[in-house]
Amino acid sequence: MASKAGQAKKLSRRSFLKFVGGASLVGVSLNLAGCGEPITAEKAVGGSGWMPAQYNAPGNWPTNVRGRVPIDPENPAIIRDDEKCILCGQCIEVCEKIQSVYGNYELPIKNEIVCVNCGQCTQWCPSGAITERDDTDKVFKALADPNITVVVQTAPSTRIGLGEEFGMPVGTNVQGKQVAALRKLGFDVVFDTNFTADLTIMEEGTELVKRVTGELKKPTPQLTSCCPGWVKFVEYFYPDLIPNLSSAKSPQQMEGTLMKTYYAEKKNVDPKKIFSVAIMPCTAKKFECQRPEMVSASKELKDSKVTPDVDVVLTTRELARMIKRAGINFAALPDDQYDQLMGSGTGAGAIFGTTGGVMEAAARSAYYLITGQQPPSALWDLTPVRGMQGVKEAAVNIPGVGSVKVAVISGLTNARLVMDQIRSGNAPWVFIEVMACPGGCEYGGGQPRASSPPSDDVRNRRAASLYKIDANAKLRNSHDNPQIKQVYADFLTAPMSKKAEELLHTNYISRAEEFVTKKSKSKLN
Amino acid sequence: MSKGVLVDIPKCIGCESCSVACKLWNELEWDPQEKTKTPTDRAKEPNNGLWPEEWTSINRYALKKNGTAVGRYVKTQCMHCEDPACVSACFSKAIQKLPQGPVIYDQKLCVGCRYCMMACPFDILRYEWKKSIPGVRKCQMCPTRVANNQETACTSVCPTGAITFGDRDELLAEAKKRIRSNGYVDRVFGEKEAGGTSWLYISDTPFEQMKFRTDVTTKSLPSYTEGYMKMTPFIGGAWATILAGLYVFNNKNKEPLE
Ligand code: SF4
Ligand code: SF4
Ligand code: SF4
Ligand code: SF4
Repeated sequence: MASKAGQAKKLSRRSFLKFVGGASLVGVSLNLAGCGEPITAEKAVGGSGWMPAQYNAPGNWPTNVRGRVPIDPENPAIIRDDEKCILCGQCIEVCEKIQSVYGNYELPIKNEIVCVNCGQCTQWCPSGAITERDDTDKVFKALADPNITVVVQTAPSTRIGLGEEFGMPVGTNVQGKQVAALRKLGFDVVFDTNFTADLTIMEEGTELVKRVTGELKKPTPQLTSCCPGWVKFVEYFYPDLIPNLSSAKSPQQMEGTLMKTYYAEKKNVDPKKIFSVAIMPCTAKKFECQRPEMVSASKELKDSKVTPDVDVVLTTRELARMIKRAGINFAALPDDQYDQLMGSGTGAGAIFGTTGGVMEAAARSAYYLITGQQPPSALWDLTPVRGMQGVKEAAVNIPGVGSVKVAVISGLTNARLVMDQIRSGNAPWVFIEVMACPGGCEYGGGQPRASSPPSDDVRNRRAASLYKIDANAKLRNSHDNPQIKQVYADFLTAPMSKKAEELLHTNYISRAEEFVTKKSKSKLN
Repeated sequence: MSKGVLVDIPKCIGCESCSVACKLWNELEWDPQEKTKTPTDRAKEPNNGLWPEEWTSINRYALKKNGTAVGRYVKTQCMHCEDPACVSACFSKAIQKLPQGPVIYDQKLCVGCRYCMMACPFDILRYEWKKSIPGVRKCQMCPTRVANNQETACTSVCPTGAITFGDRDELLAEAKKRIRSNGYVDRVFGEKEAGGTSWLYISDTPFEQMKFRTDVTTKSLPSYTEGYMKMTPFIGGAWATILAGLYVFNNKNKEPLE
């Protein structure tokens, strides 16, 4: 002890001498003499840290992966913790190569950092530096307020993802436990987005039939509009194809709108006191709910005090954090049921969560809408649109119409190939489903990060779980859902009625002004 | 051959890979408060976002170009002057210019007088006020990397080519080429400023609007400070005595000298 203290004293004395007496006077005298010892590179402060190997190549050796994706501090969907970033370059790789967003604009940038909010970068970031913008506090606050009715909806694919956060095998269906957890957290009403997935099919299917028959003067192929990442991508890069986008809102936005109109009216709840939460596998949904046009309930009710149709979107990961924070033993929860009115969906609604699901659901109901007859069982297993290929094609035989060609795409780089074909005027398809995230929502930017990097193995296992829900469902066609029949009979009259148009359809804007279109196909530099 | 870096401001997308690389390579600490600041916040700070542990900063300026709103990101760090004022201000030769370009600092030689800070025409240097043995902090231009024929940490990670490492002469020629072909402002900031700097900047928006010290002299600064620097022996000697006295005074109660 004593010797340690003595050492400390000696050290400080030495450093004192070195720093003040020694160094200074030596320095001064060297300066006087005009011959300072040149210091070498090794003597400089810093320079003893670490960089990924790709950056330590000599000279101007070309490095393929450099840097990271730019993220606007105002980005409503994703944020980054710089301290965790190791500059591995995975985010820029997925954004540029898989999503073809980064690098698809000329420099200089204008004002906005182009981003479709898909959140695939959050899935690839190995260090957890990029995550969704955490909105759980807003929800905890609403839950704590006794004057507010907190209504929540859960997307088709959160039920087959959430379990992974609690150590369950990939693809475990935890629908019942998810409902139970939401109730325990204090949500007043728990609805299922699968209901509005079915509703989307009715609206979008009707729109497609009207386009094909010429009743609606809009071009084919009709493009799906339920993925907000994809919609923003069209608005940025293919504004000329906006008329091809279905005007139907996404299931999330339909459900939110109906919470504050249909549900409020039927259950006599003040829409101003409804706080609408959506649990989604997606980060882009956070952007979508903040779009200025997503205030249909407020418009319909002519009451500016009614907040946006969906107040807050939480990712599957955020819900898991809430459950953990509340100390709920998730695995031990008994299965619970959704609240009714807007709480049940068909098998067709369930498969919205994977690539090809919307197409399969639409095929079943389009058949019915055109022929007035139930679809054949072949449409209950439309294998050509299942699986993880980036671009899939199928032909659906509909009596009286013939063979209808459709395409299914996931991943935005894949979408570019097909969109360029539409632009050049030789697209044989009448209907195209596009999901921004490879594999669809089941591997969306808000889903649990699997213990391994994103892979088709995990995607297939999650998709299989969704197809199992469909296969076991009593009702497998959206148009057979009794709650869908009820909402039209009691509230909306019919698909694409005036009221349905006002509440369930939307419009899009061109974002092409936000950047200068890329001139060449080469990389940015 | 003297090295340099060309900063092509319009090519910067504000990803801040460069400042993270600087942190990683130089093992600079993360300050929780600094970490939450945005490039817009830092552009408004009087010190341009440079702190003892922030040797470089990306600052965003909201500007107008041909009537439309544009954002421009400016990377700030030591300019690595050809004839640095900080070097001639340092009587203990703790700061020196390497023949390859970097202006480096050896903390072991530093007496803490902070003359360099006063001398720098770009207000780059920061003093570690909070440390018990404080040093002067600034970008070193990765001298060990440069000596090993590697580029600087920041340029090695830039995804867009907004910052390019190379021979200063070649970069200067490249800068002039880009000014002509891209219709940039006709000035290479750093070509002549402060007698020339290793870091060169080109821009499509006026430098004045992005807090560049455009009024800095084009004469090398040591030539001005020569008269002043002749006083160094005297001031240095006096300063050392004062510091010694202060040190004894300050540590009187804590650690009596043996
Ligand atoms: S959210 Fe999607 S578009 Fe935005 S940076 Fe990440 S990968 Fe790119
Ligand atoms: S993926 Fe994550 S760690 Fe890698 S560069 Fe991007 S932000 Fe940094
Ligand atoms: S910019 Fe300042 S600190 Fe850097 S070399 Fe020049 S005078 Fe020295
Ligand atoms: S790495 Fe390049 S593009 Fe990114 S902020 Fe730095 S200079 Fe700008």
